[in-house]
Amino acid sequence: MSNPSRNRALVRFVLLPLLLLTVALLGGLRVSYDDRAFIFIAPPLITLILSVLLMLLFVRGHLVELRAWVRSDYPLLVNVSHTLTLLSLFFASAQAFNSVLPETGLLFWLFSFFFLWTLWNNQFSNFDARHTLRSLTALFGTAFVLKHMFLASLYAPEGSWLRRLAGVVLEGISLGTLDAQRFAPATGYISFFTLALYVTSLILLAPHPEGARDEEALQVVRAYQKLDSREQRIVREALKAGSLDEAEALPASKEAEALAEDDTVVTQKPER
Amino acid sequence: MQHKLIQSVGVAWTILYALFVIWIYATEPRSFKEVATGAQVMAGTYEVDREKFEEGLSLFHAEQFRAARDDWARADPEQRDALTQFYIAYAFYREGWGRVYSDDALFRQGLEAVNRSINLSQNERLRVDDPDLQMHTPAELKAELEQGLERSVDDLNPLKVFRERK
Repeated sequence: MSNPSRNRALVRFVLLPLLLLTVALLGGLRVSYDDRAFIFIAPPLITLILSVLLMLLFVRGHLVELRAWVRSDYPLLVNVSHTLTLLSLFFASAQAFNSVLPETGLLFWLFSFFFLWTLWNNQFSNFDARHTLRSLTALFGTAFVLKHMFLASLYAPEGSWLRRLAGVVLEGISLGTLDAQRFAPATGYISFFTLALYVTSLILLAPHPEGARDEEALQVVRAYQKLDSREQRIVREALKAGSLDEAEALPASKEAEALAEDDTVVTQKPER
Repeated sequence: MQHKLIQSVGVAWTILYALFVIWIYATEPRSFKEVATGAQVMAGTYEVDREKFEEGLSLFHAEQFRAARDDWARADPEQRDALTQFYIAYAFYREGWGRVYSDDALFRQGLEAVNRSINLSQNERLRVDDPDLQMHTPAELKAELEQGLERSVDDLNPLKVFRERK
C-alpha cells in the first residue's frame, strides 16, 4: 500500500470518525459558573430535526454523495465503516447546533427558529459543496458570536454596570422570558474548539470516498471503449485540448472537421 | 492487507468511542475525577478508599454519625461497595433513632442505603462482624428501619421508652 493511499485510508476510517465523535462529545458540554463542574446537556429534539435538514443539505450540495458512500458492491467492512461515519456526522451536526443554541427560554426558540428558517430556505437553493461549507461556517460563526460573546457578556456578573443594565433592560422588555443561563468562560472556548473541529471534519469529508472515485474513472473508460473509432478520436482530441474551455472551443476547429465526416455523430453529441 | 487492518481498527475505534460518548451523557460526570472513577467501575477495578473508610469507622464508633457518613461518601463516591453502604445505613439508623420517636427522614435515607447494600451483595451474603453493632446483616437492619417507619397502635405503648438502640 502506498503512502498517500494509506494516509487517505487513515483519514477516512480513523481520523474522520474521531473528529466527528469528539464534536458529539463536546457539543453538549458546559462548565458551571458556580463550582466549575461539568454539565452535559443531551441534544434537544429540535437539534435532531436541524441535523436531518443539514444532512439533506449535504446531499443536495454534493458534500456527501450517499450512493458513493454506501454501495452494494463494497466490502461489508467498508460499508459498516462508512455508515458509522455518516451516523457520527449526523450526531456531530446535532451537537454542533446544541453547542451554539441557548439552553432554555425564548432565546432557545428564537435561535432554533432562525436555524430552521435558514436551513429550510437553503434546501431550495442551488449549492455546491464549497458554497455549502462556506454557508455553514457563516451560520455557525454567527450563532457562536451571538451566544458566547454577545449574550454571555450581557449576563456576565463581572461585566460593567452598563452591560448589566442592558441585560436587565433586555430581560424586562422580554417580560423575563429570555431566561439565559450563565456558564463559566471555559464554555465559550469549548464551543469554539468544537465548531473548529466540526468545520475541519467537513473539510476532510470527501463527497466520494476513494473507491467510488476509481469506480467513476472505470465507468468513463468502459463508456469510451463502447464508442466507435471516430467517436474515440473526438474524445481524444477533446482530452488533448487540456481544459474544458478549450474542449468547448473544439467544434470550431479540429473537432468540427472530425464531425463533418459524419452528421450522425453531431446528432448523437451530448448537450453542453 | 494493511488497508483491511486500518478499516478494522477504524470500525472498532469508532464503536468504542461512540459507546464512551453515550456513557458520558448517561452518567453525567461533574469532573475528570468522576470520569476516572466511573471508568474504574466499568473496568471492574473500582475500589473503596480504605483509609477514608477507616476514618469514617472510627468517627462512627465515636458516635459522630454525620462526619462518618461524609467520610464514607468520599470513600465510596460511586456507591458500589456493599459494606460501606451498610455502615452508612447504620449511621442513619443510629442518628435517627429516638426513645420516644424516630426521625423518619433519616430512617428513609437509611433504608435507601441498606437497599443499595442488599442489591450490591446479592451474590455473596454480607455479614459484618463488628462487636459494636447489634445487627450484623443488611436484612436485619432493613427490618429495623422499616419497623421504625411504620405507623401502628404499638407506637402509643409507653413501655417503648425502655427499648434499647441496636
